[in-house]
Amino acid sequence: MIKKIKASKSEKFIFVFLILLGITTFCTYYIVKNKCLFVKNIDPKNITFKKPNNIAVLNAPCGNVIIELYPNISPNAVQRFVTLIRSNAYENIAFHRVIENKLIQAGDLEFGKKGNLDYGKIGTGKSGLGTIKSEIENNFNYTKGSVGLARTFKNDTEDSQFFIILQDEPLFEGEYTPVGRVLYGLEVLKKIKYERRSEYILRPDFINSFKMLN
Amino acid sequence: MNLIRAILLLIIFFTPVKANTIYNLIKIPNLEIYEINTKNKLKYFYAVRPFRLGTQKNIVCSNPNKKDLEIKYKIIHKNLSRYSYDYLRKINLKYIVMCKNLSISELYTAGIPDNVMKTLILDIKFNENYFERVIHHEVFHVMHLQHKKVFNEEDWIKFNNSNFKYAECSTCTKNIGLEQYKETKGFFTEYSKSTASEDMAEVYSHMIFLKKKEINQIRKSDPILDNKISYIENKIKKIDSSFTF
Repeated sequence: MIKKIKASKSEKFIFVFLILLGITTFCTYYIVKNKCLFVKNIDPKNITFKKPNNIAVLNAPCGNVIIELYPNISPNAVQRFVTLIRSNAYENIAFHRVIENKLIQAGDLEFGKKGNLDYGKIGTGKSGLGTIKSEIENNFNYTKGSVGLARTFKNDTEDSQFFIILQDEPLFEGEYTPVGRVLYGLEVLKKIKYERRSEYILRPDFINSFKMLN
Repeated sequence: MNLIRAILLLIIFFTPVKANTIYNLIKIPNLEIYEINTKNKLKYFYAVRPFRLGTQKNIVCSNPNKKDLEIKYKIIHKNLSRYSYDYLRKINLKYIVMCKNLSISELYTAGIPDNVMKTLILDIKFNENYFERVIHHEVFHVMHLQHKKVFNEEDWIKFNNSNFKYAECSTCTKNIGLEQYKETKGFFTEYSKSTASEDMAEVYSHMIFLKKKEINQIRKSDPILDNKISYIENKIKKIDSSFTF
């Protein structure tokens, strides 16, 4: 006959403690792993826009980023941007240059495509549509959330790459061609993968989709 | 040695990347914003630590003290405020870097113009007597670099007497006086005689700095300078028709 042994108080305490520890570890693992957990995803269908034709919706890993484009400020640049958006050219393109709380850059259609990333050349790719002239004459305040076209060291080299700033950058005015401003979704952008020691990202996040609202 | 390497690697490894917008724009390290909200949209920076530039790091400048900076900024700003945003855009000047004891290859200089980077580096401790005029002299160099074809040096040389020859380069002569000649004889200063480009810059800076009456008197008494002044006037009209001296 097997004799039942009663657990002592301290054994019960350790048992409960281990179960609680297990639950906490399990929860923490999933909560910490899910970087998007506390990011509000905004559905553009629930918002009324003054100029819906100028609204573009970028879907990133943590949700939607809603951008208003400014064709009155940079007509040619916005036209190029819209052309690429409408042709779905930005889908599965890497956020290849990310500086924490400062700037996010994407849009290298040649070397930044998912499945075909070229880490040696990323940031230098072209769209195939040619470069356009810089439009930097009009006043534009580069405040947090502003979207501009990236360029090489020289003016008039804008193509498909764009950046979004996560802090005010007054020195960008007159340097970079503005195309719009983020209306909603800055928190989504802050969750895009960055490296603390490099501006260029190994195994970067990608644009899921980028579409015009209308 | 290995320990030092290891420590350095650790420092690099644990140092987070910090993007420096000013450095990204004009490729000069150790600068901070002094003033960027100006009417003509010139952005003023100052050196917070000494910096070295150039492929051979032969351009050197130090950080000025706050008091000097305060005084000289007012002077620089006052002088550069006479240029409109449009004019500055046409000559490709946007950033002013203020530092002290600016030198190239250990030769002290008032300023270093760089039209490609839209930048003018100014030594705020340069010769106090001519500091204001020299600002315009350096502005001319930015414009000259930006519009090389407009200012033809061979045409300019023809204004001088046929027996006159400029030095090989602006630093190839010891005659670099900036004091205005009482009898000009085709040149405003001793430094004007160094090179055609410096001569143009001296004429331009005097045209900006002197009163119209003084310029008119010089034009009447000195036919060579009269031609040079007309030349500069005409060429600047080509760059910006709205500009007035």
